[in-house]
Amino acid sequence: MKQKQLHMLLKNPASWLTEGGEESELVLATRLRLARNIDGRTFTNCAEASELASVRDEVRDALALAPSMKGSIFLDMNDTAEPERMILAERRLVSQDMVRKFNNRGLAVVRSEKLSVMVNEEDHLRLQSFESGLALSAAFESVSRLDDELDGSLEFAFSDHFGYLTACATNVGTGLRVSVMVHLPGLVQNGDIRQVSDGLKHVRLSVRGGYGEGGEAAGNFFQISNSITLGLSESDTVKNMDSHIRKVLEFEKKARETLLKEARSLLEDKIWRAYGLLRNARMLDSREAMGLLSAVRLGVGLGIVTDTGLSDLNEMLIMIQPMHLQMLYEKVMGPDDRDRSRADYIRSRLKAS
Amino acid sequence: MICQFCRKNSATIHFTNVEGNDVVKIHICRSCAEAKGFDYLKRSNFEKTDLLAGLVNSALMEKSGPRRKCSHCGRTYAAFSKSAGLGCSKCYDSFGEDIAKVLKRIHGNARHLGKSPRRYCTEKVNARRRIRALEDELSISVELENYERAAVLRDEIADLKKGMEKH
Repeated sequence: MKQKQLHMLLKNPASWLTEGGEESELVLATRLRLARNIDGRTFTNCAEASELASVRDEVRDALALAPSMKGSIFLDMNDTAEPERMILAERRLVSQDMVRKFNNRGLAVVRSEKLSVMVNEEDHLRLQSFESGLALSAAFESVSRLDDELDGSLEFAFSDHFGYLTACATNVGTGLRVSVMVHLPGLVQNGDIRQVSDGLKHVRLSVRGGYGEGGEAAGNFFQISNSITLGLSESDTVKNMDSHIRKVLEFEKKARETLLKEARSLLEDKIWRAYGLLRNARMLDSREAMGLLSAVRLGVGLGIVTDTGLSDLNEMLIMIQPMHLQMLYEKVMGPDDRDRSRADYIRSRLKAS
Repeated sequence: MICQFCRKNSATIHFTNVEGNDVVKIHICRSCAEAKGFDYLKRSNFEKTDLLAGLVNSALMEKSGPRRKCSHCGRTYAAFSKSAGLGCSKCYDSFGEDIAKVLKRIHGNARHLGKSPRRYCTEKVNARRRIRALEDELSISVELENYERAAVLRDEIADLKKGMEKH
């Protein structure tokens, strides 16, 4: 039953990636996370297995009563095989850490994947909400509502001085981490990305590569998140970030306009070449595919490419990851096989031969 | 005065460091200063601020004791100071002051503003929180020499405090 539910969930693309939303040409998704711990219990990394199991059960029971989680499934990571945990990580539902450290961990997730709770990650609870496009207030409202629903059936660790108490002092206070996944090919092209990212650092926002290892920005996708959780209320965090991100988007739009004005032919050539490669290539590694999809995505945003759409491209970005490809083609694959399947998959999505 | 590190030699170097409301006094002998790697005596152009920062940190370590532990989960202060990671929610009581210092460094402010669990939302707590926010604004107003606003804030804080006493 659980297996079936999990497969149903994974077969369909997460709706938070494909719904469009505000500024969807530049913003893939908004993700919010609230860190919570149960008062008096040892934090996950220091707790014995028996305590972890009892925290997991207590949280599971509380989640079952929360109206926001109606129709959700609860996955006990002990019963979830490694490939499935890796798929969940590729979908950003669990952390990489949880793929490795899975004993007595859990995940509760609603069908749309817009709301989920990691249990016994670094903190006892990590409430997460996802929205398509730029939607900070909507994402905050839904995660905060779940927080309110759980408050009462669970006694959260809190101090008047420090706020919500977390396993790592860097999250204490609101426990709120806001991350916005943005696509900034224009700023990468004109070289302003460094300046923008330095500027964001000054207002205590950090910028990392959105996909790929080690913070490298594959495909010009970046993740902007807040670094401060103490001394700034949730609503101010959300408000500040919203206005800073809109400023970044403005810069990106200007960069795109300038590119169009000054180098239209070059830009069009780059976009159409990328499109041609995606429609014809027989082998694509992850990095190359990401770069090409990024170029086509820019083309769609500028109205140059009209045969495909943003939500299709967003879905492809998820599906071309190694574990998703293996799920799609129902076999275990080595790197060469994966590169072949990745090219096959993209060709089929772009209705090419 | 005896060196507060070795507690044997007499201290020949004295520092007072003021950080916000925290005053840390350091009295140290020459050999301890050298042992701690502060060989500034041998160097001609040392950075005084670096030296102070280093001494303050080690003074904090001495005061709180690296062997200190959380009575609830057994987490040591040394383990906390290495990773900013804590063992349980009670660690925030056990290492309270030191955590406040670390948090100030990470977040630039060490007081929570924002949501709280329902059990904390009493009238008194809300008033206290409001006072705190006003006090923060007051100090900013004074810094900016906006004395009109400061006067309004001061009165408002006084009223709130009076109100709290009645409860």
